[in-house]
Amino acid sequence: MSHETERPILEAKGVTKRFGGLVAVGNLDLTIKRNQIASVIGPNGAGKTTFFNCISGFYHPEEGEIRFLGQQIQGLRPDQIAHKGITRTYQNIHLFTGMTVLENVMVGIHLSLRSTPLAALLRNPLNLQEENAVLAKAYDLLDFVELDDQADMLATNLAYGSQRRLEIARALASDPRLLLLDEPTAGMNPQETEATTNFIRRLRDERDMTILLIEHDMSVVMNISDQVTVLDYGRKISEGTPQHVQKDPLVLEAYLGTSADKVDVGLLDE
Amino acid sequence: MLQASIRRFLDTIRSGLNTGFVAGLVIVFLILLGIPVEIENIALFSLFLVVTVAAVSLARRLREKPWTNLIKNSLALGAAAALIVLLFMSLINRWQARGIDVKQYFDKVNAQTVYLLSGVPEEELFANPTRDPLTGEYPEGEALRTSPMRLTFEKENGLRLFKLNLRIGGFYGFLLLLILVSVVSAILTRLTIQAELGRYRQQMSAALSGNAIAHWVILLLPLLFFLLLWISVPLGNREPILSLGSSAQELQLMISFGIILWGLVALRAVQPSDWNLSYYTQVGIVLSAVAVLTGLGLWHVMGDKMYFLATSDDPNGSRNISIAAMITIGLIAAAVNLWSLRSSRRFETQFTSTTVALALLLMPLYLDQFQNSVLAKVGIYVLLGLGLNIVIGYAGILNLGYVAFFAMGAYTYAFLSSDQQQIGQDGKPTGLKFAGNDDMVMQIAGWMTIAAVVSLVVVVIGLRMWRQRQTTRISEARPTLINLPERPSGGVTLLLTAVAIGTSVAVALVLQNSGLYKDIFGRVSPFFIGLIVGVLVSAITGIVLCIPVLRLRGDYLAIVTLGFAEIIRLMFNNLRDYTGGPQGVLQIPRPLPDNASGTITNIVMLYLVFLGAALVAFFSARLRQGRIGRAWNAVRSDEDIAQSMGIDLVQTKLLAFAIGAAFAGLGGMLFAARQRNIFPNDFDLSVSIEVLSLVIIGGMGSIPGVIMGAIALIGIPEVLRELETYRILVFGALLVVMVIIRPTGLLPMPLPQLRERAESLAKQFKPKREEQA
Repeated sequence: MSHETERPILEAKGVTKRFGGLVAVGNLDLTIKRNQIASVIGPNGAGKTTFFNCISGFYHPEEGEIRFLGQQIQGLRPDQIAHKGITRTYQNIHLFTGMTVLENVMVGIHLSLRSTPLAALLRNPLNLQEENAVLAKAYDLLDFVELDDQADMLATNLAYGSQRRLEIARALASDPRLLLLDEPTAGMNPQETEATTNFIRRLRDERDMTILLIEHDMSVVMNISDQVTVLDYGRKISEGTPQHVQKDPLVLEAYLGTSADKVDVGLLDE
Repeated sequence: MLQASIRRFLDTIRSGLNTGFVAGLVIVFLILLGIPVEIENIALFSLFLVVTVAAVSLARRLREKPWTNLIKNSLALGAAAALIVLLFMSLINRWQARGIDVKQYFDKVNAQTVYLLSGVPEEELFANPTRDPLTGEYPEGEALRTSPMRLTFEKENGLRLFKLNLRIGGFYGFLLLLILVSVVSAILTRLTIQAELGRYRQQMSAALSGNAIAHWVILLLPLLFFLLLWISVPLGNREPILSLGSSAQELQLMISFGIILWGLVALRAVQPSDWNLSYYTQVGIVLSAVAVLTGLGLWHVMGDKMYFLATSDDPNGSRNISIAAMITIGLIAAAVNLWSLRSSRRFETQFTSTTVALALLLMPLYLDQFQNSVLAKVGIYVLLGLGLNIVIGYAGILNLGYVAFFAMGAYTYAFLSSDQQQIGQDGKPTGLKFAGNDDMVMQIAGWMTIAAVVSLVVVVIGLRMWRQRQTTRISEARPTLINLPERPSGGVTLLLTAVAIGTSVAVALVLQNSGLYKDIFGRVSPFFIGLIVGVLVSAITGIVLCIPVLRLRGDYLAIVTLGFAEIIRLMFNNLRDYTGGPQGVLQIPRPLPDNASGTITNIVMLYLVFLGAALVAFFSARLRQGRIGRAWNAVRSDEDIAQSMGIDLVQTKLLAFAIGAAFAGLGGMLFAARQRNIFPNDFDLSVSIEVLSLVIIGGMGSIPGVIMGAIALIGIPEVLRELETYRILVFGALLVVMVIIRPTGLLPMPLPQLRERAESLAKQFKPKREEQA
């Protein structure tokens, strides 16, 4: 077990993704340790979401390799990567429309199920047992994200903050080892943001999960991250603890476009 | 004072008057447009239809208002519609009598519009003479269109009860009829809205709970419809109790559709009620319903000599077998109910499903050949619709080439069974032989059947054995939800396949060498071999055609699938030497003695279609609920997200396509057996379009919706056969109206309400999990 904790959960080496002539992600190295919250920040267009798409299999990087628990995962399909234990959420919420809140979470449990269509047809005891377990687990997850009262509503009828939480619950349903959160607090008010921040921390502490986060809200990033990586124009310009990154002149330049020593660092704390 | 009260009264019925006014104008327009003028038979139906639609819209608008308001308004509706029609008709007739030819103006509108909309050439639509362009006169003796349009709803041909003529006819009869229709439709619609139309089941049950009358009305309506059918048909030598006049055939068909539709509505609407009936009361009620229905059936079989099953010794029906079958059905129904009523909350469902199933079984015995063949056609389209529903309604893959699988099923069965010999122009056989008289092919088909059955057994047993070994060492890669082993690895799959093939060959060889083969397959009719092989071939075609379209979405998908269907049709059309070309395949046998009478053949084929449709509906319902159903649902909603949740798109889509194709193959096979002769033109694009429309109109993803759609789009046009030329027009209009008013279909799938169950399950599971931790 001690060996497990030492081994990095995700290793990216020299990952490059180009769109035509544009280098969206260039030669990126990133290592995430187990049970940590790692953040990726950077100005708009820095290649954060592209990097997420490379990890989750929507894009195949042209160069470099991505290892998850020591296994190469670049080039696999999204469903194969999900099977390895990586699940993500989206910058713009993507719920299954036309399905209830509970059903959305039940789809997330798909990977842990083994029932064949034949079993569903015959409804054999194992299948019944499994279906009951799905319902129970989905309900527990909704309970965890405090959406159990709205379980039977159409997912798209939920309030914005609830939709975000539902998306996270759906991602949790697949028991990921690594959870990729793409701007989980976008569009939230301060209270909701704080609740979400605490929620993410609970995921790490209570569910023993590793989390990779893209976030624009610096207070969230600096508050919960164990490690911060800063991207600009697809390249990594800084990496380290929040304190370290906050003081890095390159980071300030990337964000503000001016020489660093003249600017109050506190700006990033807002 | 009086004025004020009149105004107040008019205010309460304003909605009804408005709707009635519009409905009346529509009827007048329809009459001018060429629907037969005599208010009889078919025209009566179209009036009914218009008034019904108006009443439905009225009931929807007034759904929050009290019942008295609805009834007052629907009375006003019928009266207003009747008055408008009478007013206009008498005006027009007066003008015609004075020599002012009103109709000619409408003839022009009529001909051009209808030609533009339907593509039916003018000459075919209007065989009536036209005016001589020089003299402005009609040709002599053919002044058909100038004759005044009269409302002839004769008292003598009106409704009868026993031998008593109700003498509903003439002006008052007309008025009364429209009022009656509007009131009944409005009330039925209101009931339906209350009972069903919400997508949330909780709302339905809330609307029904505490309203015992509505509850029982909904429960009993299928049964009442059946009794209505029963009193309207002539039994044996007896006159019908209720004579429906000259349009009895169509009305009886409508009633039988009513049994099915109200069965569906009742099944969806009834919720476990608050009354705590004891087990014995429940059993008593259900069993007496079973006894009544079976008794009616037995009476018909024994008293009226209605034998519905034939053997080769008794081609006109065997008395003993028919009676035995009827008694068996009753006993099975009773046993099933005794067993499943033990859980107390199922009384309503059990009652409705039992009565509807028995009514469906008895219905064909009371209907004539035409009516049964219409029902069979509807049944085949239900089968097709349910299959397409899996592809498009569950998995969301737009498939316009669905007819291809239908054709594959039909032709596979035809090839395997037809013993036709094509005769060339010189009177000699052309050498085209179908498998029906080719031992080699029949043997291969027989082997395929053996292989399918044996492989299934081997795979099921093998997997079970493998799993039992596996339970001791649960996979470490990804914990399963309950203690279940991993899926079989590639090696195990290969091994199983090899064992399955080996066993199949061995079984086939043993059967062949010991001479048992002939004993078994010599007796089994080609029907059953054709059934298995036809479904298999269609499913395989489905998989093969699905592979290229896996990556396509939207419009491209539609175009490619459309192309496939045409390729398959043209293949059957042009490969003359193998398929018979445009002359088709003839003499396809049925699973019946060759000399069985027409009535019996019709009834048995209808039962087979019903059985197929029921099976397919059952499969659809079960598949929808499990892991694969959720995966389909997710893929339809958003492919990318579904994939990132770990759903294998290829597998999921292939499975949907294969199952949909297999259902279509079953439909095609039954179609071929029913028609006896099939031609490539039976499988053109219009079948795909019709099936797609019925799925959309009924409600995508909803099984009752598909059945309702099939009745609306296939059944009703058969009833209104005389309006055949307007069918495409009505089709189009209906689609447009549906998409605007009810985009989710007539009977959309309700959202599953699982919260309560999930909560109680979660509580149940919690202690277990804490134990483990």
